[in-house]
Amino acid sequence: MKENFIEFKNVDFFYKNKKILDDLSFSVKVNSFFVLLGSNGAGKSTIFSLITRLQNLLKGEIIINNYSIKDYSNAFRDVGIVFQESTLDLDLTVKQNLYYYGALKGLDFKETLISIEEELKELELQEFLDVQVRELNGGHRRKVEILRALINKPKILLFDEPTIGLDIKSKYTILNYLRKIVKTRYISVLWITHLFDEIEENDYLVIIKKGKIIEQGIVSDIIDKYQYKNLVNTFNNLVEDK
Amino acid sequence: MKKYINCMKGIIYKELIRFFKQKSRFFSALVRPLLWLFIFSVGFHTTTYNLEINKFSKMDISYEEYIIPGLVGMILLFNGMQSSLIMIFDKEMGSMKILLSSFINRNYLLFCKMFAISIVSTIQVLTFLIIAKIYGIEISIFSIFILIPIIIISSIILNALAIFISSQINQLENFASVMNFVIFPMFFLSSALYPLSKFEDSSIILYYVSILNPFTYIVEFIRYSIYLQLDTKTIIIIVLSLLISLKMAFGGFKSKKIKSKNM
Repeated sequence: MKENFIEFKNVDFFYKNKKILDDLSFSVKVNSFFVLLGSNGAGKSTIFSLITRLQNLLKGEIIINNYSIKDYSNAFRDVGIVFQESTLDLDLTVKQNLYYYGALKGLDFKETLISIEEELKELELQEFLDVQVRELNGGHRRKVEILRALINKPKILLFDEPTIGLDIKSKYTILNYLRKIVKTRYISVLWITHLFDEIEENDYLVIIKKGKIIEQGIVSDIIDKYQYKNLVNTFNNLVEDK
Repeated sequence: MKKYINCMKGIIYKELIRFFKQKSRFFSALVRPLLWLFIFSVGFHTTTYNLEINKFSKMDISYEEYIIPGLVGMILLFNGMQSSLIMIFDKEMGSMKILLSSFINRNYLLFCKMFAISIVSTIQVLTFLIIAKIYGIEISIFSIFILIPIIIISSIILNALAIFISSQINQLENFASVMNFVIFPMFFLSSALYPLSKFEDSSIILYYVSILNPFTYIVEFIRYSIYLQLDTKTIIIIVLSLLISLKMAFGGFKSKKIKSKNM
């Protein structure tokens, strides 16, 4: 059985002659809630763009589900993605958005709905299926995007700062649901954020600064190692320019 | 194979839903060529009655009949460019990312998108031709059927060009320049409104620009098809235009070209 769902190996990335990522290597283990934490400009969104193939990988290697991302038809078969900005079509209903995304995963309409039957109930979205996305609030739109990412039972879920603009209740509803499915299913979550209140002590954390990893491990272990009061202090101390 | 068919069906489904929900888009796409047919051509008709066309020199057709292929081309051109506008909007809003991060081949997805837009264009063209026929333009039902694959191929060329343009533009505000530098020159520097021989008589430079314009051949391709004729040179240029425009569209959406707002 494989140990890692995602492997980043010695990845460098340049944008307009500026080095954005510097020899970055990390692994997202099976059944883990993996958090990538960094300040603005640390390179988080670049990492996400590389994993999702929106940027070309020029140096290094990214492996997803034992396949290089160059072999994307295999690598992305079991991946669900939620981008930072909403990517739903506002003119379509929830059901039509789901159908469309299911089609991009090669499913027909019936297969799409069958593959998320359980999740639809868990996320309490049944009553919104025929509602136009434009009429939904931010929290429900995010839930729909998570539901959409869960089409065809992916093994890896990728999130790029998905809680921006959400109220506290919606944010924790989403986080609690994702943590639950990480525990109960054979699934991993890669969660990119700059918000500390989204991180729990059992999460696996990678802290990046200017495209380099400056610390990684289980959150509680990192706090113990540096002997600061909490993660905020630990992070601030680690990223501080000395 | 099944996943590719489902994918194509899903993309067509989305385009059709969008199209039928945006009724104003349908009517504006129809009103534009109808205005040219009902008003412009009537005015022009009086000055160039029984216009003789070099490529159909044996036919004695009216100006209204002459501009029908050009107006069909106009629907395809404007619809393609409107899709480009929507794609720039999708890119800016982020929804394009969902399409491009699929595990299905990106070129195939883009082709599905072009094909889906061409179906929408075909619906608009067929509606226009039916109205034109009711108005009195002589066009047989058989010609209209023959035209369907021709419209789809022509539309794919223009949609591919539109997709390439959308890949090069990152801000919606810059789209106005597409109108000025792409749509209008393509349309006016073609055989859509007047035969190229008229250009040749008055400006040799404009004539040569027009014969280099792929839109000229799209219009001629449609024109020949309406009269159930084949022209080898036009077909060769259409095939080449199709291949080049597809290559440009696919090249435009290679990963390195997709700029993120957050970078």
